[in-house]
Amino acid sequence: MKSIWNYIRKEEWSPYVAGILLGLVGIAAVWLSDTLLGASGAFENIAGMIGNIVAPAAFDNLYFNFIMPPGITWGVILLIGVFFGGMLGAFTSKTLLWGKKGSANPDAQWKRIFGPQVWKRWVLAFVGAIILEYAAGIAGGCTSGLAISGGMLLAPAAFLFIMGMFASGILTALIIYRKRF
Amino acid sequence: MANNLLALVFGVFFGFSLNKAGLTKYHKIVNVFRLTDLAVLKFMMTALVVAMSGLYSLRALGLITFPNVPATYIVGNLVGGLIFGVGMALTGY
Repeated sequence: MKSIWNYIRKEEWSPYVAGILLGLVGIAAVWLSDTLLGASGAFENIAGMIGNIVAPAAFDNLYFNFIMPPGITWGVILLIGVFFGGMLGAFTSKTLLWGKKGSANPDAQWKRIFGPQVWKRWVLAFVGAIILEYAAGIAGGCTSGLAISGGMLLAPAAFLFIMGMFASGILTALIIYRKRF
Repeated sequence: MANNLLALVFGVFFGFSLNKAGLTKYHKIVNVFRLTDLAVLKFMMTALVVAMSGLYSLRALGLITFPNVPATYIVGNLVGGLIFGVGMALTGY
C-alpha cells in the first residue's frame, strides 16, 4: 500500500502506467457518459459563446450553428477537470509551480533553444495554439479527441491524423533544431 | 447533472495521467518529434490499446454501444494532421 502511494507521488510515471490510466478513463467515458474524451472542441464551444456576444453575425455560420454549437458542453466541464487534474498531479509530486519564481517559462530545453525571455514563450504559445485549433477544426479533433478517442474505436480518420501529425511534427522539429536535432 | 459531475471526474483523471506521463512539459512533446524520447508515443499507444480492447470487449458483451465515430474525410484528416503537427512541435503542448 505504501509503495503504491510512493509511486503516485513520483514526478514521472512510466508512460505505460499513465497510458493504462488514460485508456481506462476513455472506456469509462464511453460506458458511463456515451461520449468521447476531447479537448480542442471545448475551446471552440467557449469561443462560440464569446463570439455570439461580441460579433453575432460573424459567428452565425454553418460551423458554429451545427458542428460546434456554443455553450457549456460536457467537453468544457471535462476541460475544467483536466486543468485541476494536471494541478493535482503536480501537487502530489511537489512540482506545482503555481505562483513560484520562473513558473512562466520553466522548461530548460526551451530556454536553450529560444532564449530565456518569457514573452517569446507566450507569443510562440499563442501563435502555435492558433495553428493547433485551426488544424483541429479542419481534421475534426485533436490528439485526444481524434487520435486517441477515434483510434480506440478504430476510426480510419484517427490514423490518418496521426500520420499527418508525426510527418509535419518531425519536419518542424528538424527545422527548429537543425544541427541540434 | 450527474453526467456533468462524471465529466469533471474524467477530466481530473485525464489531466492527472497527462501530468504523470510528463506530457505537460515542452521537452517531452518536442523530443518525440526529435525521436530522442518516445514517451508521448508509448503513452498514446498504451491508452489506445487498453481502450480499444476494453471497448470492443464490452460491446461484444452487449454492455455498451459506440458513440458517433469521428468522420473520415481523407483530405481533411490528413491536412488537419499536417498543420496540427506544426503547431504541436512549435508550442510543445
